[in-house]
Amino acid sequence: MPVFKVCLKIFRKNWLSVSIYIVIFLAIALLISATSVSERPTTFSQKKARVAFIAEEQTPLVKGFRKELSRSTTIVALPDQSEKLQDALYFRQVTYILRIPKGFTESVLSGGKMQLEKTVVPNSIENTYVDLNVDQYWNLARLYAAHDPGISQNGLASRLRANLSGTTPVVMKTENAAKTSDSFSMFYFNFLAYTLSAVLIMGISTAMMVFRRRDLRMRHYCSPLKQANVTMQLLAANLLFAGASWAVLVGFCFLLDPQSIVTMNMLYFLINSLLFTGCIASLSYLISTVLKSLNAVSAVCNLITLGTCFISGVFVPQEFLNSTVLKIASFTPTYWYVQANTRIAKLTHFSWDHLAPSLYSMLIMLAFTGAFIAIALVIGRRQQATN
Amino acid sequence: MIHVKNLLKRYGDLVALDHLSLDIKEGEIFGLLGPNGSGKSTAINCILSLLSFDKGEIEIFGKKMTPDAYESKRNIGIVMQNVAVFDELTVYENIDYFCGLYVHDKSERKRLVEEAIDFVELGNFKKFHPKKLSGGLLRRLNIACGIAHRPKLIILDEPTVAVDPQSRNKILEGIARLNKQGATIVYTSHYMEEVEQLCSRIAILDKGRVIASGTQEELKAMITLGEKITIEAFSINEQELQQLRELPGVLSVQWIEKRLVIKSGKKAGSLEAVLDFLKTHEIGFGRIYSELPTLNDVFLEITGKQLRD
Ligand SMILES: Nc1ncnc2c1ncn2[C@@H]1O[C@H](COP(=O)(O)OP(=O)(O)OP(=O)(O)O)[C@@H](O)[C@H]1O
Ligand SMILES: [Mg+2]
Repeated sequence: MPVFKVCLKIFRKNWLSVSIYIVIFLAIALLISATSVSERPTTFSQKKARVAFIAEEQTPLVKGFRKELSRSTTIVALPDQSEKLQDALYFRQVTYILRIPKGFTESVLSGGKMQLEKTVVPNSIENTYVDLNVDQYWNLARLYAAHDPGISQNGLASRLRANLSGTTPVVMKTENAAKTSDSFSMFYFNFLAYTLSAVLIMGISTAMMVFRRRDLRMRHYCSPLKQANVTMQLLAANLLFAGASWAVLVGFCFLLDPQSIVTMNMLYFLINSLLFTGCIASLSYLISTVLKSLNAVSAVCNLITLGTCFISGVFVPQEFLNSTVLKIASFTPTYWYVQANTRIAKLTHFSWDHLAPSLYSMLIMLAFTGAFIAIALVIGRRQQATN
Repeated sequence: MIHVKNLLKRYGDLVALDHLSLDIKEGEIFGLLGPNGSGKSTAINCILSLLSFDKGEIEIFGKKMTPDAYESKRNIGIVMQNVAVFDELTVYENIDYFCGLYVHDKSERKRLVEEAIDFVELGNFKKFHPKKLSGGLLRRLNIACGIAHRPKLIILDEPTVAVDPQSRNKILEGIARLNKQGATIVYTSHYMEEVEQLCSRIAILDKGRVIASGTQEELKAMITLGEKITIEAFSINEQELQQLRELPGVLSVQWIEKRLVIKSGKKAGSLEAVLDFLKTHEIGFGRIYSELPTLNDVFLEITGKQLRD
């Protein structure tokens, strides 16, 4: 297999120009992993609101309420001065100021109005829990009082405490898989499209250029090696190079995010990226049959990789791109690769119905691969004939 | 060993090979001599089935030559006019690669590669990359890559372009040695000295046609020129020059930079007649050189132009 071996040697020789892309890729991947891994919500915990609790009366029920409230919120002690309270709100020391007016307890128990004064920071989700607490406690108090008219406030308070002491268990209904949605893996595999394209086009085209040099081609025609044999050896070397590049790049993903290996999504990410690798490898082969000089290769390489990656949503998610751009992008395999990736990332169930859209995108990528190979073969034949 | 009959090759309107016929026998060193653009490389490429041609027959080793005559190709060594080596490989790796296209056995190949390196004397440059070699060394590498597998038939297309005279002689000696060891050689060149020194039979090519072929003696016998005499003379007038031209056996006389250049026919005796003439007319002369005709003279006489213009 002399041709195969020499082809590998040439790959090794060109390694430096290719590794630049890998280094850049890794640097960016590291950045993404550093920022994204930390904010992956896997457990549910109620975020505690910070509340200023101002009570103008200290009835047993108000005291009980304060205790109850302190279980689910952080009560910040503040003096009852409107200026101080405003400042606290402004600087987000608290997001909720709750004032119990004088005669509030009496009004509630007697079935009157339940009028609390509250000042809040708008749009703070945690405040809803405070409102919930208020409603729950005082409505229950009114309910008990109505059912048991003779009950003392102390008795009422202890009953309420017993009733409300339990916590409601909240179960997150997500499986392991959903972790990957908007996750590091998705970013990684999307961005992989850029690096893989650059590495393969640079690597394969430059090596194939060497064998396409007229003098060397003529020299090979003189040898007893069949032309088909030479082509097969070159093809094998290219596939090995593509496979190795893929393995190295994917390997880094596992290093940076070891947990991702166990998910089902990863399996499909891998399949998708492998198909993409094959597609770009055949494109690289095609490029080398068309282009004449190495400078042209690196120019075309940059144009193709950067261009397609931009319009296909590698750098900017597809949902932010305008529909005309996406229409144009759909004529590139990168678009379908990114689309499949995004779809895979959202998968939580792996039944046929859920998988079908992703598989459809992959199928289109396969069609591209076939087309590239066919065109390359036709051009190759024609070149041979005109020689 | 190679049999070419009525080969016609056109590039559009240009007729590159005009009914070319060659017959190259086993064991000889066959020279294909011709000026630039005469069609030497085209002929070689057609013979090797690298180029398609319009008409004609080509046989090598008694078999019709086709693009997939792999058995024949196995026994042919080719040194192309354009250096065909991998810039990415070292000298050793290059020779090993091209040898490996023919010879699969590793230890056998190692021996052959070492022999080829000795042959072109690149022992000190084994680890060099082609880009680091001078033009002459690169040519030698090109030769080594073509002959390492010890083929029965070696075709060399102007292998010594840009090689200094010393290395050129080494290469020519080497080729003669390969021939002694049993290889048939086809050698193209536009240097007549090389061809004259090396080849046992020669075909002279011009505008795609063989204008003459045979051994050197046969070629030189074809022309009227027998001897070229150069005499350093001090002065001579136009009348005396005219009288010299009329001497028997003298074909032409030129007076260039105090030298008389006299071309004479095949019959002996012209030199004596000339010297007698100079003495009787008391024309002083110095050194005398006599040259036998070269292939350039053959080419000149047949085509009316210099081989190297
Ligand atoms: N690919 C081609 N297309 C058109 N014309 C060509 C082509 N190759 C060669 N020729 C022409 O054919 C003629 C013979 O060329 P060829 O290369 O065989 O000459 P040569 O004897 O090898 O010359 P040199 O000593 O310069 O190598 C030339 O006139 C050349 O211009
Ligand atoms: Mg030539």
